[in-house]
Amino acid sequence: MAYEALDFYDVDSLLSEEERMVRDMVRDWVDEEVIPNIEKACRDGVFPDEWRVALGEMGVLGAPLKGYGCPGLSYTAYGVICRELERGDSGLRSFASVQGSLAMYPIWDFGSEEQKNYYLPKMASGEWIGCFGLTEPDYGSNPGDMITKAEDKGDHYLLNGAKMWITNGSIAELAVVWAKLDGVIRGFIVEKNDPGFSAPEMKGKHSLKASVTSELVFQDCKIPKDRMLPSVKGLRGPFSCLNNARFGISWGALGSAQACFNSSKDYAMSRIQFDHPIASYQLVQNKLAWMLREITKGQLLAYHLAQKKDAGTWIPEHISLAKMNNVDIALEIARVARDIHGANGILDEYPIMRHMANLESVKTYEGTHDIHNLIIGRHITGIQAFTRNA
Amino acid sequence: MLNHQLVKLKHEIQFGQNRGINMNIAVLLKQVPDTTAKITISGGKVDANSVSKWSMSPYDEYALESGLQIKDKTGGNLIAITFGPERTKKMLTDAAAVGADTLVHISDEGVRNEKNSFYIDSTHIQKLLSAAIKKYEANVVLCGKQAADTNSGSTGPGVAELLDSACVTLVSEVNYLDGTFTALRPSNTGTEKVSVNGISVFAFDKGSSELRRPNVRGIMMAKKKVIESITSEDLGVDVGDLRVNLDSQTPPPEKAAGQKFEGAEHVPIVVLKLRNEANVI
Repeated sequence: MAYEALDFYDVDSLLSEEERMVRDMVRDWVDEEVIPNIEKACRDGVFPDEWRVALGEMGVLGAPLKGYGCPGLSYTAYGVICRELERGDSGLRSFASVQGSLAMYPIWDFGSEEQKNYYLPKMASGEWIGCFGLTEPDYGSNPGDMITKAEDKGDHYLLNGAKMWITNGSIAELAVVWAKLDGVIRGFIVEKNDPGFSAPEMKGKHSLKASVTSELVFQDCKIPKDRMLPSVKGLRGPFSCLNNARFGISWGALGSAQACFNSSKDYAMSRIQFDHPIASYQLVQNKLAWMLREITKGQLLAYHLAQKKDAGTWIPEHISLAKMNNVDIALEIARVARDIHGANGILDEYPIMRHMANLESVKTYEGTHDIHNLIIGRHITGIQAFTRNA
Repeated sequence: MLNHQLVKLKHEIQFGQNRGINMNIAVLLKQVPDTTAKITISGGKVDANSVSKWSMSPYDEYALESGLQIKDKTGGNLIAITFGPERTKKMLTDAAAVGADTLVHISDEGVRNEKNSFYIDSTHIQKLLSAAIKKYEANVVLCGKQAADTNSGSTGPGVAELLDSACVTLVSEVNYLDGTFTALRPSNTGTEKVSVNGISVFAFDKGSSELRRPNVRGIMMAKKKVIESITSEDLGVDVGDLRVNLDSQTPPPEKAAGQKFEGAEHVPIVVLKLRNEANVI
């Protein structure tokens, strides 16, 4: 059967025709190429290279960026793309988030004209993959205290330090790396063949198995002077990128939730216990109704946030709320879906356990659930609660 | 007029202008309920309003892809033509997103049978389509062998008859070289290749290439493309009276419940059933 997306309040009718066409293009591709192959990709622990090619050919990478060969779509369209990709798998959406929001965006917003002209067309076409180095082994929620540093050596910069949990790291042609230059956080473009740079893959994940996660290691890594992003200093740089990626996640998580809902509905309708489909029992209906309720609220949240993003009337706290809420409900929906599926819920015949395990990562990366609560808490009270030292 | 165009086209080819020739490639498209969409029958007729998803008829997709490939090689103008209600315009925009240049919507206003909103006499549609093909001066016509909803298979041959052109059905591939169209189609011995002199209608079975996927750039271009909406009056066609009526539609019979056998003692029964009822052994 064709995928019938849960859209109880007909929120997609608010999309423009162009946004709906982009949705259908990505949706069809996910149905035809991703869902039939995702379990194998997870078992093999690889991100299939043909997906990189297809995303480039469809022209969805760096969706809301304009010029330099970028698509120039709305943020709403970017959200829709993330939702459709994540219905396939969070690892696939992670690839697109990192490429577009974390690697292309900082070059587009903070790079020199030369950097934009050189890197962005190749990244929009998918020819070059980018990654984003902010998190360090000892500094996750607290990136401001990062250790990685850059030194000005006259005709080049020298980078030393290590980054961790870097999506796309080992398959990337370039990394946008945040490091301290004279105590100030700056962005640097590191290319994969730069001397002193390596990106070993992190193995053994039970989550995002079809996505490459790596360390980035800089040992006297020498890069030319023209690789620093000239137009940003401090945490504003990486946080601007994260705002865009988090926005995409707030939509993406709904894709996972919709996949889990659909599978649960189909399973409950066909699974017979005590002579009747389990969908006919009140406890199961209660679960399905709760899923629909939360997905519908999440859709309205995501759509309205997208409108604010396109209108430029958003604040970072709006994004924190949507990322936090929609990932939270998606993870809980995946857990309830596993319950409805009974023992079958643990098999890879159904997408449930995969989405659930993926969402555990999504809940933590790009600002943990708790950190987003603290961002909202600071907004309400005016008192920061991240540290006792401030 | 059409043969005159082909002569002109051949002349251009003979002078080696393989690319950039002004060939008009007409592709006839029909919007049908998606083959995976749920269909509801209400009052003895398919309820068009209940169709959850409309799509381009699959055989038409092969025709469109073939038209795009011919255009890729020779240049020219791909004219996507459809007949139907307003909703069919969406399919034309989808065709534009993959490369259709001219979008022609023949409105069903004044033609649609008042008694049955979902059914129109095939000969009416053929008259309108052939008039549009003439109006847009097509050099070649590509279509699906049958639509996924009515399965009547009459459009290609019917249009060819009205155009007084050749018609090659069940093709899997159409190529254009040195002024001649050739097509591959199945034969008793495997596959046969036919070449056609003069204007021709090619009706596609499953083609050798799936319809290409659109991309964002194509979608953005498609958004700007104007759909030329014309009526039977614009085409100067009086479709005449309805000759074929659709009296009623019924859903297929529900599948009988499956039978379950447990234990080795049932093996002979199962074998008999597989042989006599399922006819699989």
